[in-house]
Amino acid sequence: MIQVTNLHKSFGKVQALNGVTFTAPDSQITGLLGPNGAGKTTTLRVLYTLLQPDQGQAMVDGHDSRRDTLAVQSAIGALPDQRGIYPRLTSRENIRYFGRLHGLGGSALEARINHLIDLLDMQDIADRRSNGFSTGQALKVAIARALVHDPHNVLLDEPTNGLDVMSTRAMRQFVLRLRDEGKCVLFSSHIMQEVSALCDQIVVIAQGQVVASGSADHLRQTTGQANLEDAFIAAIGSEEGLVR
Amino acid sequence: MMRRIWIILSKEMLDNARDVRSLLGSLSSSIFLPLLLIPLIIVVGRMMNFEAIEAPLQVPVVGAENAPRLVAYLEQNNVIIQPAPEDPKAAVTEGNLEVVLVIPEGYGEDFTTGQSATVQVIQDTSRSSTMATRARLENLLYGYSSQIGAQRLLARGINPSLTQTLVVQSVDVSTPQSQSMIFLSMLPFMLITVIFVGGMYVVIDTTAGERERGSLEPLLINPARRSEIVIAKTLASIPFGILAVLVAMAGIGAGFNLVPIGDLTGMRLNISLLTLWQIFLICLPMVVLASGLQMVLATFTRSFKEAQTYLGFVPLVVGMPSMFLAFSPDRITLTKALIPIYGQSMLINQLMRGETILPLNVLAGAATTLLAAVICTLIAIRLYQREQILRGSDR
Repeated sequence: MIQVTNLHKSFGKVQALNGVTFTAPDSQITGLLGPNGAGKTTTLRVLYTLLQPDQGQAMVDGHDSRRDTLAVQSAIGALPDQRGIYPRLTSRENIRYFGRLHGLGGSALEARINHLIDLLDMQDIADRRSNGFSTGQALKVAIARALVHDPHNVLLDEPTNGLDVMSTRAMRQFVLRLRDEGKCVLFSSHIMQEVSALCDQIVVIAQGQVVASGSADHLRQTTGQANLEDAFIAAIGSEEGLVR
Repeated sequence: MMRRIWIILSKEMLDNARDVRSLLGSLSSSIFLPLLLIPLIIVVGRMMNFEAIEAPLQVPVVGAENAPRLVAYLEQNNVIIQPAPEDPKAAVTEGNLEVVLVIPEGYGEDFTTGQSATVQVIQDTSRSSTMATRARLENLLYGYSSQIGAQRLLARGINPSLTQTLVVQSVDVSTPQSQSMIFLSMLPFMLITVIFVGGMYVVIDTTAGERERGSLEPLLINPARRSEIVIAKTLASIPFGILAVLVAMAGIGAGFNLVPIGDLTGMRLNISLLTLWQIFLICLPMVVLASGLQMVLATFTRSFKEAQTYLGFVPLVVGMPSMFLAFSPDRITLTKALIPIYGQSMLINQLMRGETILPLNVLAGAATTLLAAVICTLIAIRLYQREQILRGSDR
């Protein structure tokens, strides 16, 4: 479970986060929805301990991201904004590297790698060097290595970015599967259809603040809009006022 | 802690060992060093060692008909007189001719009346490659001058030694080995280049390269301390630096044993296997420092290209004092031995000169150099602990 309370973060004069608060429960997919620059990646980076909040708290399974960095890092599997893999290593070696960093090893690690290769349907690229992989192939490697330690909390930063239709469908199936396994899935996106199709709960972020949250139905009701896109625009518009 | 350092270290070594092009790049200066050093020694050695030159001296002469006796004297002394071009000054300026001897028309008249007769040697002293020729010709002319002068004094019944108040004898105590030091003292600077270039590609690949590939953010999310990551990455470049030194030493060893440098230059140059081995050992602390120092600098750079540009200057800057050593040799003291890189350069020069080195100097220099490497690594760890290390887009 992920609990974010009143997160503030600024870079120089830019106030990236201005009091972000939400909870992502287990066995649910929580979507962070917001335009580019709203603070989605910054929020996620605080959760994966890469950034220290100026104020507020981010908790993963009861561990504070600021203090228990190693515990938080062990409890999460993340597909960050930057998701480069090592081109001179095979897919398997890329996954194994992160598995070993998580303290795995031996036959248990190899079994887990094989399981992920089956799960993500990447047998054909498993033992190829990843130089020249397509975006979809590279993404599979990045996801497999993020999940190699079977983390309870999965954080995905715009996971379908740059994917074709088939890969996007496969990705969504995969995210649903993670939820059904009882994991806490938090993923960011600026694509409304994706969020409405997948998420049990939507957190709408704009200008570093949560402007609306709840299920898709709840968002439509509170904003009085029939479809989610209008609801989304209404939610953000109320904050941005004339600027929009 | 040690386990995670080993995981990262072994991954970086495997990853970079597979990068054949970068590996060749990191060994480029090791391969070029002997290829550069040995021809340099031969060319410069032949140029400066003019006593060994037995070939006749070719001298274009203007107005040879004005001084038949002088010309005959030159010819007796292994000089081949050649016709001069129309514009001798231009020919020398352009470097087509090394020297031109001009004997003016009034020479014969001055000579017979017992006055000082003038001859001109047209030369370009800025061309050091013509030094041997110029010196040979001028020595011959002075020789002729004093021979005629002595004859004139004798004809007047005066002992010629009366005019020679001083006889200057130079007693050269330099050994062939120390003569050749001029070239060999370039070796420390060249080795510094080898060491820094040897580890450079790995340092760049594991820092700026990691950031450029976008694999830094995923790596940092793993439960590993930043200190472990930095230590592992610094250590990963060390074997590549050591390999570069080994290749360079092997090249030098092979070059000095296969090329007959002694026959070609008339200098005796010996570098024993023991000396090569000692130099290799002295280089090891420098390899560690090179890794640490380049790690700090590469951490500041954003991209592979930027890192390559800046790190390219590092051997030049840190090797500058060692380069001066080639031109103005410095006596080693314990204090100087403590200076990282400079101390090792002086030790290498001592070894090349065939002097015995003091173990205290070696150990003290190694200690301060390794200490500097540790300080660099600590700075790099601090840099990696900052949030700005990602330098990505913060959305």
